[in-house]
Amino acid sequence: MNEPAAPSEFCEDSANVAPRRAFVRVAMGGIGLCYAAAIGYPVYRYLSAPVEKAEVLAAITEVTLPEAQKLPSGSALMFKFGPFASLLIHHRDGGWSAFDAKCTHMGCTVQFEADKDRIFCACHGGTYDPKTGVNTGGPPPKPLKQYEVKVSEAGIVVSRVKTA
Amino acid sequence: MNYPFWDVPHIGSGWVIGLIAIFHVMISHFAVGGGFYLWLAERKALRENRREWLVMLRQHSKFFLVLTGVFGAASGVGIWFAIGLAHPEATSTLIHNFVFGWAIEWVFFMVELTTAAVYYYTWGRIPDRLHLKVGWVYAVASLFTLIIINGILTFMLTPGAAWLSVAGSGQEAAKFWAAFFNPTYWPSLFLRTLVCVSLAGIWALVTCSRLDGERQPALKTELVRWSAKWLLPSFLLLPLVLAWFLWQVPESQRELLKLGISTIGSGAFTQVTRISMLIALTSGTIVLVVYFLAWRSPREFTLSHALAVLLLGLIATASGEYTRETLRKPYVIGQHMYSNGVRKQWVADKYNREGYLMHSPWVSKDPALPPQMATGQAMFRGQCMSCHTRDGYRSMERLLAGRNPEAIQNLLKVLHENKENNPYRAYMPPVVGTADEIAALGAYLAAWSPAFKPPPAKPAK
Amino acid sequence: MKALAASVYQWMDERLGLEEALAFARHKTVPVHRHTFWYYWGGISLLFFLIQAFTGILLLVYYRPGPEAYDSVRQITYDINFGWLIRSAHSWAANLMIGAIFIHMFSVYFMKAYRKPREIGWFSGIGLLLLCMVFGFSGYLLPMDELAYFATKVGLEIPQKTPVIGPVIANLMRGGLEVSEFTVQRFFALHVVVLPALFLPLLGLHLWLVQKHGNAWPPAEEVKPAAERKTMPFFPNFLAKDLAMWLITLNVLAVCAALFPWDLGEQADALKAPPPGIHPEWYFMSSFMVIKLFQGAWGQAFAMGLFTLGLVLWTLVPLFDSTRHAGQRGKYATYFGLLVVVILAVTTIWAYYAVAAEIQQHAQGL
Repeated sequence: MNEPAAPSEFCEDSANVAPRRAFVRVAMGGIGLCYAAAIGYPVYRYLSAPVEKAEVLAAITEVTLPEAQKLPSGSALMFKFGPFASLLIHHRDGGWSAFDAKCTHMGCTVQFEADKDRIFCACHGGTYDPKTGVNTGGPPPKPLKQYEVKVSEAGIVVSRVKTA
Repeated sequence: MNYPFWDVPHIGSGWVIGLIAIFHVMISHFAVGGGFYLWLAERKALRENRREWLVMLRQHSKFFLVLTGVFGAASGVGIWFAIGLAHPEATSTLIHNFVFGWAIEWVFFMVELTTAAVYYYTWGRIPDRLHLKVGWVYAVASLFTLIIINGILTFMLTPGAAWLSVAGSGQEAAKFWAAFFNPTYWPSLFLRTLVCVSLAGIWALVTCSRLDGERQPALKTELVRWSAKWLLPSFLLLPLVLAWFLWQVPESQRELLKLGISTIGSGAFTQVTRISMLIALTSGTIVLVVYFLAWRSPREFTLSHALAVLLLGLIATASGEYTRETLRKPYVIGQHMYSNGVRKQWVADKYNREGYLMHSPWVSKDPALPPQMATGQAMFRGQCMSCHTRDGYRSMERLLAGRNPEAIQNLLKVLHENKENNPYRAYMPPVVGTADEIAALGAYLAAWSPAFKPPPAKPAK
Repeated sequence: MKALAASVYQWMDERLGLEEALAFARHKTVPVHRHTFWYYWGGISLLFFLIQAFTGILLLVYYRPGPEAYDSVRQITYDINFGWLIRSAHSWAANLMIGAIFIHMFSVYFMKAYRKPREIGWFSGIGLLLLCMVFGFSGYLLPMDELAYFATKVGLEIPQKTPVIGPVIANLMRGGLEVSEFTVQRFFALHVVVLPALFLPLLGLHLWLVQKHGNAWPPAEEVKPAAERKTMPFFPNFLAKDLAMWLITLNVLAVCAALFPWDLGEQADALKAPPPGIHPEWYFMSSFMVIKLFQGAWGQAFAMGLFTLGLVLWTLVPLFDSTRHAGQRGKYATYFGLLVVVILAVTTIWAYYAVAAEIQQHAQGL
């Protein structure tokens, strides 16, 4: 007579033991996964709570800057578009531009240099055109993300460029 | 300024003195302690008939002669050159006050150098007992050079009430002894003697480390351990003698030690605190390092180990001398002459009423500059550059960064009036001169930074 | 007195088994040869870690993560008695620790102390090095001054640019889409709890392995006959010298902290541009330079791939240079090591030149 593979508390015959063991293993694994998910999910949501809020904030499509129309020509203003640092420029010829101030090279914050009429990134010397945001020199690979600017007597509305 | 001004770019003339002097102290204190080391070691070797010791001692005395006779003497003279160029005003006062002190010092120097040479060159050529006597004469002569210079150095920190009462009257020489044996004389003498004993041991360890521990294990063990013991006196007594020294230092100077406890703000003169802490740590740990490296494994004590110990000794010495110097601020001669040569008793009458430049025949105005700028520059050179360089050590540009012309004039006003609530009073001399001269200085300083660069993070009041 | 000490020892021994450990320690020997000096550097790294733990706990008393981070560090540096000293010691020890770890790692590498049976010691060592770099990166943000803010902002661009999972990881690390007070709080938890919890057991393993296997003989000494090889007892000889090295190290740290106390820059402002010539600490300068050299998205990916490959090869060197007698592989491993040292040194120095050039250009108004 064959010995059972291992002593079984219930003295069942060997034919049922192996598949039972396999079932228990799968069941245990499944329950383990459920536990991991039950703990992991709230932990993940806990850690990503501010990320979600920031994404909601970032989902805004426009920002109103009251009084910003008083910005003198040939100067710039830093403001926040949602969570993102952004740049509003009033050009000498009276035109306005607004960009996301995050340099496309490594993410530093760019600045407007009035005396040289250009946008400059202090981290590695990247330069951009102040009207179009096109990268004109240094390491940046792409232009700055540009916003639309609507000027009125009450203020300035900066909004995302609407894709067609 | 009664003398021409010596402008040393980037480091300032003070550091020329400092670098030469620290180097000199490492060697001169070795000379004093080492004299006793050689004498006592030779005496022990002769008494206990340890001829192998004498071989090593002869080698050590050659090293000793070259190091002290050449580098010690050259750096000592170097100090004379440096102080004469950097601060002739104070040097002149010291010379006039201690003429015979200086003269006797040179007598002992001559004896010292001569006996050192005789000691080395007569090894094995004259009877042992006579040779031992030569060593003893050296040790005593060397000790006297310390005894004398200590009087002059400590005078600078604490001239003593007796001398101060006749300062400026022409009768100062009458108070020679009171000035010489001033309040910090004795604690300083004990302090320096302890340092000499330690440095003697440390430099001896350099020589002993070069013995081959495999070929001469017993000799190396004995000599390394005997030399290591020379660090014990200072380890045990230094805290007490230091406390005695500080107790004799005037309260106003002791206050400087507290400036760096709660802050390191620029311009707060925190270095006295910081560097004095280094003295405590290095002198506390150097004995332990010697114990673990040298005492426990003398045969494996290498030159690298010895040099590491020497480096710690250098840090301790440099910190000590630096702290001693900065503890004296704002004076170069305590309560009498400020670091920039301005005499305290002349501030109100001569300088403020009649003018600074009028009483500074050697401070010349640059003809290439417009008149106010030339005056301002002359004021800056005469009164500020003893301690500040323009853009290097204790940079004036950096310290003034972010101030516009009004702020600079306000600062000068605070420094000029030197009231009790002047935050710089503890370590800076008052700015002296007529109102025009001070305005010129302000204009000169303001012209450096027309863009008024924003200041670094300042401590919030 | 001695009898009392002896009976206390016996009481402890019967319950803790001290004799076993001490008996082992008494038998352990350390090789003595011209490269013995390098054996101390692991211990020096350990000393720095202990200093970091000690000063870190002290800083914890006054540091406030979150919106008051900058202010709390300003208080520590410019207000609280000897706060500047604790902070300067912590910042300097961080830099010196990574320096000591590099010296330790390279000396282990060139002495081929990663060979059998010490491979796991090597692997755990690399793990410790990487944890230390994360310690450095996370700790650097905590003061929330300009330098800290921009260094972290730029540093997190690397995971940000990793395809697919990059942005999710970067956002989780930042606690948002930009570096903010949430970032400080996360980095604080990482720096003070998570990393120590990972570091300590790994360090324990690393140290136990060193005790178990002892110090390795360098290949040149190994071939000598046993009679010609010198050793010293670990206890007390090596330990005494180790202690002396620790004291010297402490003095070096004290000189750095006293002569060059760590300052605090301007408060981080998301709307301000970074100061010209901004750059990370020296141990990240090599990566900084390499990333600068490779422009464009593909270039960046290539640079990161190169780094990762280099790190993997470095970690796996014990599997490559495993046999003691095959000289060829040993030579290749040494050449590779020299190549790595040269690349790291060159890119680091080059990075500093580039930074200096940028600052000069900016000052000249270009």
